[in-house]
Amino acid sequence: MAAVVEAKNITKAFGGVKAVDDVSVSVEAGEILAVVGENGAGKSTLMRILAGIETQDSGQVIVSGEVIPKSDAKASIDAGISLVHQELSLVPEMTVAENILLGSAPTTVGITRTRQMKQIAQAALEEIGVSVDLDERISKLSVALRQFVEIARAVARKPKVLILDEPTASLTPAETDYLLSMLQRLADRGMSIVYISHRIPEVFRLCDTVTILRDGKQISVLDVAKTTPQQVIDQMVGRELKKDLESKRSSSPGHVVLKAVGIRAEGVNDISLEVRAGEIIGLGGLVGAGRTELVRAIIGADPRKLGKVTLTVNGKTKVISSFESAVKAGVGYVPEERRTDGLALTMTVAENITLPNRKELSASGFQLARKIRTFADDLSKRVGLRPPEIDREAGQYSGGNQQKIVIAKWLGRRPALIVLDEPTRGVDVGAKAEIHRLVKELADNGTAVLVVSSDLPELLELADTIHVVRDGTITGTLSQEEADEKRVMSLAAGEQVENA
Amino acid sequence: MTETIQLGGAKETGFFPRLRTIIGRRTEGRGVILLLVILAVLAFTQPLVFTALPVTIGRIALIGIVALGLTAVILMGELDLSVASTLAASGVVVAIIPDLRIAIPAALLMGIVVGIINAFFIAIVGIASFIASLGMLFALSGLAFVLSNEVPVSIANQDAGLAFGQPLFGPVTPRILLFFLVFIAIQLFVTKVKAGREFFAVGGNRQAAYDSGIPVKRRIFTGFIISGFVSALAGVIYTLELTVATPTAGSTVLLASFAAAIIGGNYLKGGRGSIIGTLIGASSLGVLQVALFLSGVQVPVQNTLIGAILLIAVITDPSSLRAISARVRATLPDRTKVEAQ
Ligand SMILES: Nc1ncnc2c1ncn2[C@@H]1O[C@H](COP(=O)(O)OP(=O)(O)OP(=O)(O)O)[C@@H](O)[C@H]1O
Ligand SMILES: [Mg+2]
Repeated sequence: MAAVVEAKNITKAFGGVKAVDDVSVSVEAGEILAVVGENGAGKSTLMRILAGIETQDSGQVIVSGEVIPKSDAKASIDAGISLVHQELSLVPEMTVAENILLGSAPTTVGITRTRQMKQIAQAALEEIGVSVDLDERISKLSVALRQFVEIARAVARKPKVLILDEPTASLTPAETDYLLSMLQRLADRGMSIVYISHRIPEVFRLCDTVTILRDGKQISVLDVAKTTPQQVIDQMVGRELKKDLESKRSSSPGHVVLKAVGIRAEGVNDISLEVRAGEIIGLGGLVGAGRTELVRAIIGADPRKLGKVTLTVNGKTKVISSFESAVKAGVGYVPEERRTDGLALTMTVAENITLPNRKELSASGFQLARKIRTFADDLSKRVGLRPPEIDREAGQYSGGNQQKIVIAKWLGRRPALIVLDEPTRGVDVGAKAEIHRLVKELADNGTAVLVVSSDLPELLELADTIHVVRDGTITGTLSQEEADEKRVMSLAAGEQVENA
Repeated sequence: MTETIQLGGAKETGFFPRLRTIIGRRTEGRGVILLLVILAVLAFTQPLVFTALPVTIGRIALIGIVALGLTAVILMGELDLSVASTLAASGVVVAIIPDLRIAIPAALLMGIVVGIINAFFIAIVGIASFIASLGMLFALSGLAFVLSNEVPVSIANQDAGLAFGQPLFGPVTPRILLFFLVFIAIQLFVTKVKAGREFFAVGGNRQAAYDSGIPVKRRIFTGFIISGFVSALAGVIYTLELTVATPTAGSTVLLASFAAAIIGGNYLKGGRGSIIGTLIGASSLGVLQVALFLSGVQVPVQNTLIGAILLIAVITDPSSLRAISARVRATLPDRTKVEAQ
């Protein structure tokens, strides 16, 4: 069968770094191709070239036998390539319908035909089985809905090939499940799909073929039916990934570090919790259950309506009233939205990492340049930043690597309490294991850890105790021994758990 | 349809929830409230504003016309600081060319060229619009002085000028008529025409606009051309009405037009706002200025009041209110107390 879309010998360098190095991929009608690789392997860059957003240094993109012009987003869309971006690419202040037809609204002599626009948008939403008010602004929607609106936009363009760059990173298991079967349906009708994910099980469930990238180079193209997850992971990483030696931590928690009583805030309904030194408390639940709102209210990043939070460090108890007082008292925070909240994208890695550690690194107010460099260098190596160049701007790093920078930023500080919100979203398997190890290490050294995660295996692996949150209240608390995926899920979804 | 998923965000039903969401989506709220408050206060204190309707509307038109063009640029998240000096320079051009049939098109053409040059530096060279249009501001006000030899220039055809100031019908002078035409044209452009609607995308998320194949650079050119053209038109009107062009004309227009756009709910970072909002903002300012003038308030005091109202309008925006309260709380003396355990 002939390829519908073919990328031939694509090469793209940023400065000296070859982000994509002579890569060729092709998809046939109805085929689902997975593209996998570690953070910074070049997956997003390759897809952006296909979509005409990034300009390749050499190589061609061919759709149904015709070469499409370089770096012409409109031409790529018209030729039938539709990309769902890794970082959402919607206009927050515009409506759902306007976003779905962004740049391709139907017109008569230049005048937008609003009614027809809504019909097309509605049809696209129906095709993917999502219902949402067409006149609602994007900024009012949940992250999951935004993701589906973006998919609707891609589908509305009637693409020959639909590319999805980590579409499930912010979806719940149920939503992921739904998305995968929906993609299967689209493929059954002859649409080609390119699917990028760090979640190998998804790849094995959905895809026909898998292309593996490493450091911009194409390592291999495998038939999914004839390979195993372990093989794929080994090829991605280029070395054998040591299985974590079931590192059950000997949890002997110390005194209570964080005490939050009766927290009420936007989306949070009277929650109390404690975290002890050396303890990892997990907050499970579905996206939108109120976990992010809860932790932000606790550390004073968002206003609280009611409730009291104290932090006890070295026998001294301080009341947390604002985010500033929280940081001063020794709280570290890795936010969910790293691009907007966690990173200064135009500052270098070194500057970002040392930001919360200014005091330790300065002698009487002056920053010690050499000390800063070794400090930043050491931390970026510890989180496995690739490439570990601390003088690069944070914005130039791939999505997963940006997350590592945010983590590194707080690691160096040995905070009394660290709050992690989806710490490994978009992080590759190798780095994920590394981040898990670092978090446990922090806890072993006496830091109290509060982690929000929608990734069940992660939660089960990390947390000593899991509080499951639904609709802004804690619906259940499970110890490490009691917790399993099914129990957490049923508490999260609001079903009764039978005592087993 | 095989399967669907419920993710929330479904359409609100019922009359009042619908109404609330519709109002919630508008950006002109504070402009409307401000205008109503001003009108209510004036109904008691300075009812002359309503009897002197032609004067009031004329004042609104003067501030408003430049503000309308400026809004097209602001919607894209750009600034055009050169509007007032475009007005001054085009006014001088009209006065120094004796034949109005040549002078008016030349002045308008100049406005278009100004827009193209601004957009060139911003979209092609990649200079921030604040800087590019600031440069243009200086260049044009210099040009206005050079062309006029630093003195006011009377237009040759005084009769045409005098006729231009007369009402066409009712209180409607050509200035007011042109103002409404410009309003309708730009309003239709940004709400109905595809290219104009895309201004919101360029301002709201430029990367997303680019990713979707919207010709972002072309839109920026269009926006600055609109702003340049409309400012030049304002200059033409100004000179014809006064029958004389001064190189310092419109010195208060720059700030007033930004104030009108901001009071009208236009977000300076782009992507959020409306032309109607600017109309409302200009109306608030115009009414206020006339009222203050009629009450004999000195011009510097007027400006201070306008500044105060601008700040009030901005900080009473619900979303900025929230942000401000959070920030104020964060900067207040730290309430972290040390408690004995
Ligand atoms: N605008 C840019 N400027 C400089 N370097 C860049 C830029 N965009 C990407 N890179 C570099 O190109 C490489 C590939 O990045 P890319 O985003 O394609 O990775 P990825 O495979 O999508 O990773 P992830 O899984 O983290 O999303 C990285 O080394 C990254 O730092
Ligand atoms: Mg990527």
